[in-house]
Amino acid sequence: MTASDIASETWDPSKPILEIEHLSISFFTRLREIPAVMDFSCTVMPGEAMGLVGESGCGKSTVALAVMRELGKTGRIVAGSMKFKGRDLATMSDEELRHIRGSEIAMIYQEPMASLNPAMKVGAQLAEVPMLHSGMSKDDAWKLARQIVADVRLPDPDRIINAYPHQLSGGQHQRIVIAMALMAKPALLILDEPTTALDVTVEAGIVDLVKELGKKYGTSMLFISHNLGLIMDVCDRICVMYSGEAVETGNVTQVFDKMRHPYTQALFRSIPLPGADKNARPLISIPGNFPLPHERPKGCNFGPRCDYFQKGRCDEIDVPMSHVPGDDRHDSRCLRWQEVDWDAPLAKREVKQKAEIGKVVLKMDDLRKYYSVSTGAFGGGTSKVVKANETLSFEAREGETLAIVGESGCGKSTFAKVLMGLETATSGSIMLFDENVQSTPIQKRNTDTVSQVQMVFQNPFDTLNPSMTVGRQIIRALEIFHYGKSDADRQDRMLELLDLVKLPRAFADRMPRQLSGGQKQRVGIARAFAGGAKVVVADEPVSALDVSVQAAVTDLLMDIQRENRTTLLFISHDLSIVRYLADRVMVMYLGHVVEMGTTDEVFSPPYHPYTEALLSAVPIADTKVIRKRIVLEGDIPSAVNPPPGCPFQTRCRWKSQVPGGLCDREVPPVQMLEGGHQIKCHLSAEVLATMEPVIKIAAE
Amino acid sequence: MDQLTWTGSAGTVLLPVIQIAVLALALALVAKLIFVLAGLDGPGLPGPDGAATSRAPGAFASLGIRISFFAALAAALLILAAGAVMPTPVEAGILGSMAVRFWPVWLALAATFILSIRFRRRLGLYGKLFDSNVGMIGFAIVMFWVFTAIFADAIITQDPLAQLSGLKNKVPGIAAPESPFGWYLLGGDHLARDVFSRMVMGAREVLKIAPAATLFAFMVGITLGLPAGYFGGRLDTFISFLANLVLAFPVILLFYLLVTPEIRVTGIPIVLAAILFVFPIVFLCVLWNSRYYTDPMKRNLYVGITLVIGLWAYSGLAFNMDPLGVWSMEPNMLNVFVSVVFVNSPGVFRIVRGLVMDIKARDYVAAGQTRGEGSWYIMLWEILPNARGPLIVDFCLRIGYTTILLGTLGFFGLGVSPDSPDWGSTIDDGRKLLNLFPHPALAPALALMSLVLGLNLLADGLREESLKD
Repeated sequence: MTASDIASETWDPSKPILEIEHLSISFFTRLREIPAVMDFSCTVMPGEAMGLVGESGCGKSTVALAVMRELGKTGRIVAGSMKFKGRDLATMSDEELRHIRGSEIAMIYQEPMASLNPAMKVGAQLAEVPMLHSGMSKDDAWKLARQIVADVRLPDPDRIINAYPHQLSGGQHQRIVIAMALMAKPALLILDEPTTALDVTVEAGIVDLVKELGKKYGTSMLFISHNLGLIMDVCDRICVMYSGEAVETGNVTQVFDKMRHPYTQALFRSIPLPGADKNARPLISIPGNFPLPHERPKGCNFGPRCDYFQKGRCDEIDVPMSHVPGDDRHDSRCLRWQEVDWDAPLAKREVKQKAEIGKVVLKMDDLRKYYSVSTGAFGGGTSKVVKANETLSFEAREGETLAIVGESGCGKSTFAKVLMGLETATSGSIMLFDENVQSTPIQKRNTDTVSQVQMVFQNPFDTLNPSMTVGRQIIRALEIFHYGKSDADRQDRMLELLDLVKLPRAFADRMPRQLSGGQKQRVGIARAFAGGAKVVVADEPVSALDVSVQAAVTDLLMDIQRENRTTLLFISHDLSIVRYLADRVMVMYLGHVVEMGTTDEVFSPPYHPYTEALLSAVPIADTKVIRKRIVLEGDIPSAVNPPPGCPFQTRCRWKSQVPGGLCDREVPPVQMLEGGHQIKCHLSAEVLATMEPVIKIAAE
Repeated sequence: MDQLTWTGSAGTVLLPVIQIAVLALALALVAKLIFVLAGLDGPGLPGPDGAATSRAPGAFASLGIRISFFAALAAALLILAAGAVMPTPVEAGILGSMAVRFWPVWLALAATFILSIRFRRRLGLYGKLFDSNVGMIGFAIVMFWVFTAIFADAIITQDPLAQLSGLKNKVPGIAAPESPFGWYLLGGDHLARDVFSRMVMGAREVLKIAPAATLFAFMVGITLGLPAGYFGGRLDTFISFLANLVLAFPVILLFYLLVTPEIRVTGIPIVLAAILFVFPIVFLCVLWNSRYYTDPMKRNLYVGITLVIGLWAYSGLAFNMDPLGVWSMEPNMLNVFVSVVFVNSPGVFRIVRGLVMDIKARDYVAAGQTRGEGSWYIMLWEILPNARGPLIVDFCLRIGYTTILLGTLGFFGLGVSPDSPDWGSTIDDGRKLLNLFPHPALAPALALMSLVLGLNLLADGLREESLKD
């Protein structure tokens, strides 16, 4: 019998399963020691789900890796203890750790594609776990694997366990990874952003699964995420981290309703919740930047960005955690939490004038974009047609924000490419300022047209050329748009553009790697507006940014739009932000526009069944919101091989309401409801009228 | 005059020191090996408080290895240094005298290193090279030979082609009364020429051609690889096929064919040169045009300068018809140059093509496309600068291959005049009497080896440093 067996037998189940006390972790580089986590404490009871939330760089993943003792060569635990079932993980030998990893503590990583061995069958990878840890025979292990695969609700488990990872979709991968983690029936499951790489409707399925399995097996969970809504859905308790420290911890509902730390409060104010409005109640971004690990301020780390900061007090001593009496294990790392009036209404902010919506600037009519894909190695073989966009018709007006919503593969990026002229449309027409551009590739467009339609890209780390200074990149855009007569003109204009996006002028000489994600995105916006763009396609411009930065960048876009009367096509999968800023919304699924209307129309019934599911899948970080759970079965079908009839029929829960199997045979017509609200569905007007709202705000 | 000993008078003291140190080093290595095999060499895991646990015996062996190695190195350096201060070559010994002959190289190296380390934070990737020991050693070796090539005239002890009677195949350190220096430091070869001077001059021969040929190969590879990777499709298939064709052909055979007089008569090398030498001009013209076409004044200036200088050099180098007679290349040299460029460019092409295919999916490339940039601007100014890391590393490695290739060519007697002091042909000359007199072949062989080793270390250092940050 090994030491770990003895310990787990003598362990008392009423005690915490994981008890981290005053844990400090540092990374040692050639130059200096970089403290990543300081004085971190948390307790996970058996069967409890603990959520770790915070922005990137706050140390939440480091905590998870420390629990697994996988800090690499440079990372070291410098103080504190981590007790797992009463035994300190920090002092355990490699041999003991090997017994615990995978069998008692399992970890699920962010990128499901990278977590599976592409050269091994799924079943073999799963069976390895019990064969290694409990010496199970191969046949038994495969049987167990099949059972667990069925448990994670994958269809056709016999086929799945004999499949290779590349034959499965992203959502299925993550289910397999979860299955693998559960193979040894671990006592603690660590999930590091398990759904960040997945689409929202797939994410909803995974989240449901994790919750259910947690209950079924009584597994404790450490759930790491930057998404507050997700944490609220999954976890019982929450721990908010900021710059290497836990700043607030407690029961999820208590922390959400009765936050007692300024950072938590600022975080909630910067995410778009139902009720936020870009004009009347704008988001409040957190001022300043996240401190670098070796440049943390004295005293409270959040001090320089805090509204309640008191000089001479908050910047004097290291702030300890203090208990909030009356609540269940609710602690806050704030010196002033008893003095602050937490329920004070928001300071009156200037109410911004709603931009006036002008004439039509962009009109797409029956646009189609097909790609032909040949499967043969030498150009022969059967060629297939991928229908990326089908019968796309809409108008966008001056000063309007049109949101295009949809998950991966819905054709929203293809649409952007066609509009920009990087691809030409297969058929249909695009009218841009009374000019027909659908078959004009960008090389043939004149400079005016090009400069008027510009794009803001998704990935801030990819949007700027890493080997050119920021100023040079903006000047290049000015040059190409023939702005100004001399280099000095363009230099001046470049500095003005930096002012416009609220960046210091000194940034002109910086290289992109010296900028943070939000700053890079601002430069990207400045570059897009260099030629006085009238139509800007923003392809998920904030989805890769931290929440506190998201608000600031979104506001910036809105301000520039108001000033320049720009038409903004906002592509996103995040319905919260869409509801916050869009005037009109277009929902796409597999190349089809399934629903279109004003924001209010789309966000209230009647819905298209897909919109309904999408709305219910988005986690909302507000305890007062009651959400109907609609979990879609399966994955998004491949665009190479779309289902016949209605594209959504494979996952639709209303299908039975349509008589005569119409959904299987025919693409539904576009129904016009009152006020220009369009829905592409076979459901009759009566059935649509019976739909209930997905999101209800409970009476206070 | 006396024959020179290897270490001179300093050696009488220092040689035993080196012997002891080397012996200690060997013992420590054996001890370390035994400890490792016996499992007494566990890495001292730091305790939870960060303090190291007690040292394993293996750690002492490692310490021994380090101390004895540095002792041997220090003694060897002392011999060289002692040689430098000794009044006469007899007291300085062969090694000491050689160290003295290389004085311009030492000065230049010291200046380079002091300046580079002083300003390394402002020098980008080149400056970061000085953070890596491997990179610094590689750079030092490479620069040693570069400076040797530059200052060769001051270093050689006599004309590398001059033959002195009675010194045929004589051992290193032999007195040569007729020579201006008085000794043959590394002995005489089979035609009684000074091996040392030939080795030094050989560096010039090799370094004159290898980097230039590699640079040309890069121009060709980049000019073809960029569009192949960027546009893909038929163009890519076609160019890749051509590149594969060249790569699939046995290199040595290709060289034989290109350099043999019969083929030369047909004019194929001239045609090849005419084709290959166009690429750098095209490359530079496209580079300027894509960047400055919005400002015709500047564009015309840069393109004009490039065309004037480029075509002038082109006429001289490819056809030997330079009206002013500044640019020329002897036919032998041209052959070697063209063949080296020809066989190297497909390799560069493939690397560039792969890098472009990766980088063209980035958002900043899409951003360039959406603001209506031309394809060549995106290729040359958005993609190429971001592919520079792997390309610089490959450049260093490729100079090494080219150097070996030139050595091989010289060894086969291809493409260079028979009495050329380049390392390849010198090794070939010495090969015939290798059993009896190894030194005429050994000196250039060691020189070639150290240069290629230096280039490889430099490439390693660059790769390591470019991955950081």
